[in-house]
Amino acid sequence: MTINTPSALSLVDVRKQYGDHTALGGVSLEVPVGSIFGLLGPNGAGKTTLIRMVSGITAPDSGLVSFFGAAFKEEDIKEIGYLPEERGLYKNMRVGEQAMYFAQLRGMSKSEASKALKGWFERLEVDGWWDREVADLSKGMAQKIQFIVSVLHEPKLLILDEPLSGFDPINAEIIRREINRLRDECGTTVLLSTHDMSSVDELCDHVALINHGEKILDGEVSFLRERARAGKVDFRFRGNLIAFTASLGASAILHSAKSDGNGAHDLVLGIPSDIPIEKFIKWSSSEVDVLSCSPKVISMDEVFLKAVRTTSLNPSIS
Amino acid sequence: MRNLFIIIGREYRTRVRRRAFIISTLLGPVLMVGFIALMVFFTQSTETDAKVLVVDHHELISVEFDSNKMVPSCPDCFPERNFLEYRFASEALSTEEFLASDYTLMVEFDDGILQSAKALLQYETAAPMRVKAAIIRDLTEAIERLRVKKESSLDYDTYKRLKVQIGLVTQDIITQDKNAENRSLVGWVFSMFMFMFIMIYGMHVMRGVIEEKSNRIVEVIVSIVKPETLMTAKIAGIGLVGLTQILVWSILSWILFFIFGAYAESSGMLADIMANQGVEVGATDLKTFMSSHEDLDVLLQINWVAMIGWGVFFYIGGFVLYGSLFAAVGASVEQESDAQYLLLPVMMPLLFSYMLNIKILESPESTLATVCSFVPFTSPITIMVRLSMGVPWWHVVISAIILLITVYFMLKLAGRIYRTGIFMYGKKPTFREIAKWITFRNK
Repeated sequence: MTINTPSALSLVDVRKQYGDHTALGGVSLEVPVGSIFGLLGPNGAGKTTLIRMVSGITAPDSGLVSFFGAAFKEEDIKEIGYLPEERGLYKNMRVGEQAMYFAQLRGMSKSEASKALKGWFERLEVDGWWDREVADLSKGMAQKIQFIVSVLHEPKLLILDEPLSGFDPINAEIIRREINRLRDECGTTVLLSTHDMSSVDELCDHVALINHGEKILDGEVSFLRERARAGKVDFRFRGNLIAFTASLGASAILHSAKSDGNGAHDLVLGIPSDIPIEKFIKWSSSEVDVLSCSPKVISMDEVFLKAVRTTSLNPSIS
Repeated sequence: MRNLFIIIGREYRTRVRRRAFIISTLLGPVLMVGFIALMVFFTQSTETDAKVLVVDHHELISVEFDSNKMVPSCPDCFPERNFLEYRFASEALSTEEFLASDYTLMVEFDDGILQSAKALLQYETAAPMRVKAAIIRDLTEAIERLRVKKESSLDYDTYKRLKVQIGLVTQDIITQDKNAENRSLVGWVFSMFMFMFIMIYGMHVMRGVIEEKSNRIVEVIVSIVKPETLMTAKIAGIGLVGLTQILVWSILSWILFFIFGAYAESSGMLADIMANQGVEVGATDLKTFMSSHEDLDVLLQINWVAMIGWGVFFYIGGFVLYGSLFAAVGASVEQESDAQYLLLPVMMPLLFSYMLNIKILESPESTLATVCSFVPFTSPITIMVRLSMGVPWWHVVISAIILLITVYFMLKLAGRIYRTGIFMYGKKPTFREIAKWITFRNK
């Protein structure tokens, strides 16, 4: 992302108050065009409020929401697809008829809509359900229809609130595939709210974490992981543990150590950023029998737990 | 605007194609006619024939025939009727004797009747109207004959010829309009339908809103259209469903009426009835038949165009007014059973104006009637009665304008409650909380 390309979505100091409750206390966000942006946070953090604001359901008390570089206008609603967390369908309508209804509300003509729907019904393996009553659908099936309805008009910005909840692993994979496909083939920007970290690991390239109505962390997933890693490496070797740790000196900090009983040891080491890993491996090979040395893999779970803990211990950091 | 019509279309289509709607719309008038016919049939067939013991203590109108058997001194006064049979006596039966006997009624009087014109009717089961009417007619004639004979030199036929009973033909001095109050019954029927449709379809609005809220579709839709648009479209769509039913019922009723009329004309039924009643007219068509009967003539006097035209207008106005309130109630709760306490204040004015109709039928020119036909919450119902009887045109116009203005503000007000309410889950809101929603800034 460069300064010159406007973000798909930009929030500047957005605030929202409900009575005495501060739902959002000044949140700023940049969602880059073509990204899958994870919006994370515990329950009640203000995610839904933020999403409702972005999807045009509510307006902020103060602050600015802009859409592709311009202030949010009513016409922009056509460019947005929205799948709320709590979602439903009309029970007394047929599947196809209902999908057509939403497509038309999104501004599509009947022929456009039925053509697009046909493709989607095939891809999500729900063809054959067109004339069925919604009441006959299983939960997963209904979820698929809801997903189709929110993406059918090929929105520039797709807002998904917990899109994978309620899906079995097979169907969750189909939805994940479709989200990636939309981004890759249609250039759709996706704002995805969830507290399921595994979907963040698999889908998102950018994330923001909000808690108590404040943003406490945001950035590219790879960057955040790298930062959380803080130079930590997993180091496995065979040799004298005590002698080796003593010889580390200032070149590395020992975080933890574990021996497997067969003479191999697992260490988590912190290596200062000015020392390249290759150099460290070269040096250590002269000391012990190095079995493996790789940057520590940090899950997003750990990244967020750490961030949430830090802010609750020290609320001034945000 | 396009979306408004798309939503109206959905609301309308999903409702009119329901089996319950189709059946009630097509069968409504048939069922109603059938129901009335059934009612008449049952009241007639369940009436047991009356056997009346006339206890004439002073033998005023009866004489002893042979040993202990009394007969009326004027047999013509007590004609034979298939549902009524008379026996005469000079001594009353005791309660036990009466209950043991096969008499259903006992009429008792002494010579006081000549002054008071009152007799005592005792029963175990109350007498049907037509039996009482027959007894009154028969006794009246018998006592009249007696008095004419006793107190004048006239014979009874002369007396009867001389006797007059004045009827009043009422006329509005300005409009020259005659017997307007007879027509108020038609207005009453209109207002009853008005009440029924506002109530039934108002509940539809409420249920529709609750459905959308409880299965959360509303969130997707209001991300596309404004909540106020969704609410307005829902009210409009359901209102049109009601209008469709009214229209179909009216057309079917006309058709049924004309089929009946044609049948009655061709089968000679009308001619028979008219001959029986001694009505002498040249033609025996339905129109002549109706105009010769005061209560049927009313139907010919009604200005149907004005009644139906204004009826539709006030239905639309009244429905949108109450519909928006029903929508606000629906938005405030998550399930229908929670809505009771909120429905009460909404239904009160509706029920009130419906009940008030009886008072207004009695005195259609009263201040109460005039005020109620201007107050927008009662006017759609009250105005129908006044319209049927004739009302200054500017009353109707003012009432219509007030209604329209109120509808506009009520839609705004209900819209504010609606747009906040549809996102409120959890506990049931109090009236105070709902009032607060009106001031919330959501957009």
